[in-house]
Amino acid sequence: MAQPIAATGLTKIYVSRFGKRRIAALDGVDLSVEPGQVFGLLGPNGAGKTTTVKILLGLTRPTAGSASLFGCPVSDPESRRRVGYLPEGHRFPGYLTARQTLSIFGRMSGMDAAAIRRRTPELLERVRLSDWADVRVKKFSKGMTQRLGLAAALVHDPDVLLLDEPTDGVDPVGRREIRDLLQEQAAQGKAILLNSHLLSEIERTCDRVAVLRSGKVVAQGRIEDLTADASRYRLVATGVDDALLAAFRETGASVERVNGHFDLKARDVDHLNALVDRLRAGGAKLQELSPVRSSLEDVFVDLVRAGVAPDVKTSGDAPETSEKKETLQ
Amino acid sequence: MRALVASVQEVFREAAARWTLVAYFALSSLFILVFAAAVNLDVVNGALAGVRLFGKPIEMGGESVSIDKLVLGFESGFSAFLYLVGTFLALFATAHLVPRLQEKGTIDLYLSRPVGRVPLLLSRYAAGLLLAAANLVYLIGSMWLIIVWKTHVLHPRFLLAGAVILFTISALLAFAFLIGVVTSSTGVSLMATYAIFFFAAILMAHDKISAAVSSETAARIVDGLYWILPKTAELGQATVALVAGSEAPERIANLNHLAVFGSTAIFAAASLGLASWLFSRKDF
Repeated sequence: MAQPIAATGLTKIYVSRFGKRRIAALDGVDLSVEPGQVFGLLGPNGAGKTTTVKILLGLTRPTAGSASLFGCPVSDPESRRRVGYLPEGHRFPGYLTARQTLSIFGRMSGMDAAAIRRRTPELLERVRLSDWADVRVKKFSKGMTQRLGLAAALVHDPDVLLLDEPTDGVDPVGRREIRDLLQEQAAQGKAILLNSHLLSEIERTCDRVAVLRSGKVVAQGRIEDLTADASRYRLVATGVDDALLAAFRETGASVERVNGHFDLKARDVDHLNALVDRLRAGGAKLQELSPVRSSLEDVFVDLVRAGVAPDVKTSGDAPETSEKKETLQ
Repeated sequence: MRALVASVQEVFREAAARWTLVAYFALSSLFILVFAAAVNLDVVNGALAGVRLFGKPIEMGGESVSIDKLVLGFESGFSAFLYLVGTFLALFATAHLVPRLQEKGTIDLYLSRPVGRVPLLLSRYAAGLLLAAANLVYLIGSMWLIIVWKTHVLHPRFLLAGAVILFTISALLAFAFLIGVVTSSTGVSLMATYAIFFFAAILMAHDKISAAVSSETAARIVDGLYWILPKTAELGQATVALVAGSEAPERIANLNHLAVFGSTAIFAAASLGLASWLFSRKDF
């Protein structure tokens, strides 16, 4: 089966009206999202997240590169038959009721009237708008409009969901419900591309993320891999004396005693193993050794602030954070 | 097809909700009611013995006039008025269709569905024309029924005026769509389309204008514009000619209908084609 979302070398250059300025919104972006995967697209304002989504929907043409949905090029309107989209700052016609909104957009997605009649009550129930089904959208709060937007994106039971800030303006309970809904959709095998500034939401919802900066993917992979700091470990051991710590430092390792454990930085896995051998040879007893994880926010801020982004790969070869920290300081 | 029908329905729903449709039909109804209440005719043996307008008798010089001729004359003159009113009302009620569609946060909702851009644009164009046609049928049909009620004269050619008016609206709406796609502004679309309407009407006298301008290039430009732009003045005359039939004045009856309708149709097709092409290539 073709991949739900695939993009290769996406490049978008905006040229000003008289051709004097050229702005590269995207520069060779590669993406792929598998069925059942929730993929987060992160980046600061102007990084190219929305441009990427717009290209995937055929709203904007790429200057170079290609993208497809289930193998169908995005330039073909048919590619959007199995796609549900929730744009950021969407404006449903205020004169429509929630029911009419789902009817119009359901039919625009090719559904017949009977299918829409069946689907509407269950969807409105799912997004807690059943009591508002026949109220005009202009009377809805922001959170309600957002939930309606999600229902409209789901009305035709799409296999791919592209969501731009889906929890924007939604209260914490609503956020939780949306998160649950997305997890449920993913469990059904739907591919979800989530574009959000809320890193905590991304961290809780997504399996994989890509971080965009200035139109380039500067990191991409599983959240566990991105947040794992391969060079930093928490070490708990008994019988460690100052001489042993000094010996560690002589090898280039950094080690600090912190609240009953040691914060250990090694160059790589071989270096770490050598340190463990040294520790045992020195008569100390190892009780615990675990990698220290950064939060996604730490990783994101480091990547965005870094002048030159380190190469983060999906294999778990995490970046050298000391270098990033220096940049931050 | 389902998607396009939904798009057309949505335009009607929007027109109703935004009071455009209501205002459109309310103005027409007001016009019809005023007409029905104002005109009172005294018909004696198939001839007009007296006319009262807003309750005041109109001086007829003591002559009796054939009611059939009077109705024909009235309908011909009135069709020219309806041409102007119908066209302006229709453009006012539909010029927003593209700018509103292109609004940020709205266009994404439509284009993210499996609908081609050109069919989406054309469905809105068709919806605009349907809206105009519905109003024309109501306006002209009601006027015709009132005339039949007041005079007992059946003159179905009056109904044909609606066809020419709708043709004119189709050409001007195509241009309004083109401007709408380029500028995303309802105001600019309306102003530009009304400007084209009046400018093209002035160009009916292109022979005289060409003769009056100092340079040959300017004369050619004037003639060229005349042939490029829709023939709004001539189409008004064609409306009258169609209603009057054999009774039409000679200068109107001798219109080159093929040139008038043909060049206007080409203008409409070119405007709509260009609007579609630009819309299909636009980045949102």
